[in-house]
Amino acid sequence: MEEEKRKQIKDRLNRVFQEVFDDDSIQIFDEMNSDDIEEWDSLIHITLVVSVEKEFCIELNASEVGKLENVAAMIDIIMSR
Amino acid sequence: MNQRGQNMQRIKKLIIKEEFIEAFKQLQQFPLPINDFIVQQKCARLFSKIPKESLGLKPIKIGIVGTSTMEHFANVFYFWMAKEGFDVTLYLTEFNTLDQSILNPESKLYEFCPDIVWFFTNYRDVRMDIPFGCPAEVLDEYIQEAVSRYVSLWCALQRYSSAFIIQNNADMPLTRIFGNYEGSVSWGRSNLMRLFNLKLSQSIVPGVAVFDLDYISSLYGKRLWFESKYWYHSKHSFALDAVGLVAFRGARLVSAIKGQSKKCIVVDLDNTLWGGVIGDDGLEGIRLGHGADGEAFVDFQKYLLDLKNRGIILAVCSKNEEETAKLPFLKHPDTQIVLDDIAVFVANWDNKADNIREIAAVLNIGLDSIVFIDDNPVERALVRNMLPSVSVPELSSDPVRYIQDVEEHCFFETISYSIEDQSRSEMYRVDVQRKELQHKCTDISTFLQGLSMEAVVGECDQMNLSRISQLINKSNQFHLTTTRYTETQLTVMMKDSNVICRYFKLKDCFGDNGLISVIILRKANPLDLVVDTWVMSCRVFARGMEDFVHNEIVSIAKTLCCSRIIGRYVATKKNAVVRDLYSKLGYALIKSDNGETESEWVYRIHDVLDYKTTFIKKEEVF
Repeated sequence: MEEEKRKQIKDRLNRVFQEVFDDDSIQIFDEMNSDDIEEWDSLIHITLVVSVEKEFCIELNASEVGKLENVAAMIDIIMSR
Repeated sequence: MNQRGQNMQRIKKLIIKEEFIEAFKQLQQFPLPINDFIVQQKCARLFSKIPKESLGLKPIKIGIVGTSTMEHFANVFYFWMAKEGFDVTLYLTEFNTLDQSILNPESKLYEFCPDIVWFFTNYRDVRMDIPFGCPAEVLDEYIQEAVSRYVSLWCALQRYSSAFIIQNNADMPLTRIFGNYEGSVSWGRSNLMRLFNLKLSQSIVPGVAVFDLDYISSLYGKRLWFESKYWYHSKHSFALDAVGLVAFRGARLVSAIKGQSKKCIVVDLDNTLWGGVIGDDGLEGIRLGHGADGEAFVDFQKYLLDLKNRGIILAVCSKNEEETAKLPFLKHPDTQIVLDDIAVFVANWDNKADNIREIAAVLNIGLDSIVFIDDNPVERALVRNMLPSVSVPELSSDPVRYIQDVEEHCFFETISYSIEDQSRSEMYRVDVQRKELQHKCTDISTFLQGLSMEAVVGECDQMNLSRISQLINKSNQFHLTTTRYTETQLTVMMKDSNVICRYFKLKDCFGDNGLISVIILRKANPLDLVVDTWVMSCRVFARGMEDFVHNEIVSIAKTLCCSRIIGRYVATKKNAVVRDLYSKLGYALIKSDNGETESEWVYRIHDVLDYKTTFIKKEEVF
């Protein structure tokens, strides 16, 4: 059940990444972080976080925003809501 | 995929096919200023893929000196500026280097040579440590001190740069330590912020405009505006979702600084200025004054009248018999607008696009200066289609919303107000009367003589500076070199002993045209007088004023013992009307460059033969 939910979230999150970075070929994986996508800087991180909040209808608090270092951390937070 | 997603895909494809103009045209239609951060960033990203050179935009450089993170705003600002017709290059000063960037004449900001500098501050930058219960006299000192900090930064900037300055005021926050009581005491923080903002607006000098951030924060909704998460995380001073709204309104202000605001509002009558159809319902049947929508129409008329009183030209374009259409303005007890408020009244059965073209021609203004208001979506669509440079706002079906519908577009932004503005609509109306006289006269000399024209020449001064600056910056047609000078630059020129600045005012038997021409002459060397700037209001074309000004230039040249007057013409899309002016005045062509888009002319001074006859009598003001 949890795995199924996690997979669904991963798929939706993948779509968010593809839209934010304007690249339909992106395939996210758990350990993926800013080192893996050239454009992923602190500026686009904000756009990414806002997109995640909107897509999953969640609100991250100020310190959580800074802690989303990789895809796995993002999925964890989304699942926890 | 939803509608917006489909639109974006379509625009993406156009960009790939390099159909940039069409892509930009479609891109402009989809985002609204109020759309959220994601939509704005998507739009910004698509826009960044279009090469700017393909769009024919005007370049402009803006330095943003911010005390918060401005990068996300910057992305979006590029797009909203392009919508106003500008290709903006931005320089963002390093985070929190307000003083260093301004006070150091060698800072990167000055190296950038911006046309405009935007002090993007917010309420957190207003430091007023005022003790609770502070007495009124002492209060004023604190506020003055807080405002002085900004005033000295403006002065410092104006020493090193001629950039125009945009200064944010303070977006009053929501927290009230004393709760509602803060509204009852002038030392309460709410009132302190209001007093600060008021003092700020009272302290502005020429070359500075306030950007009312507080108003925008209210408009957006302060609860959402002060979303603090992104302040604590990454120092964004206002809600990311408000970025579109701020970018749109900032771009409108820049447009106003560059003289591009709308000048004229053309309105329909039936169901726009009153409820019902005058031709069918008659005076008693139309709804104006009584009942819910009757009152709404009265308020809309009052709104339009206020706009006219501030200098926006009011014109009517209606499908009606003229007599019938004029009836409410003459006889209805609740009409706010009377016939004299309307510069041009067009009521016939022709299509509205042709009529609007006619109105623009009569007023001698560009179609891009016009806003068209009509309750009928079919008419709106027709005009949008046929006259794409006319602005046609969407109108709600409920007249109670009409004012809001017009307001939210910020069509009439300005950075100045002069006594000339008050009477502008009247001047245009009176001008229509002159044209009617001209049609009746069989020859031009009789007409000109009949006008009994008198002109005044004056030395440019502070009192007339606002109007002089307006004329130089907003004129496009009769402007030989299309120079654009800020009030600060003009003040410097006025003090320069090698520069002669003169203004001209013209009146005739119909009325006073006010200040309608400005010349800036430079003594380049002992023998040559160069015409740096010659601008004239189109309202007074072909009445001999050109010759009158020429006579004055010759007079000045003789006083300075110059033997030659050098004139330059720089062609633009709008100033073809003066292309042959120097030739007609008797100047000889020296050279022409750039495929004939720039030409230089010389007039050699003789004696008595230099003066041309006009029907204009001269009055001196010195």
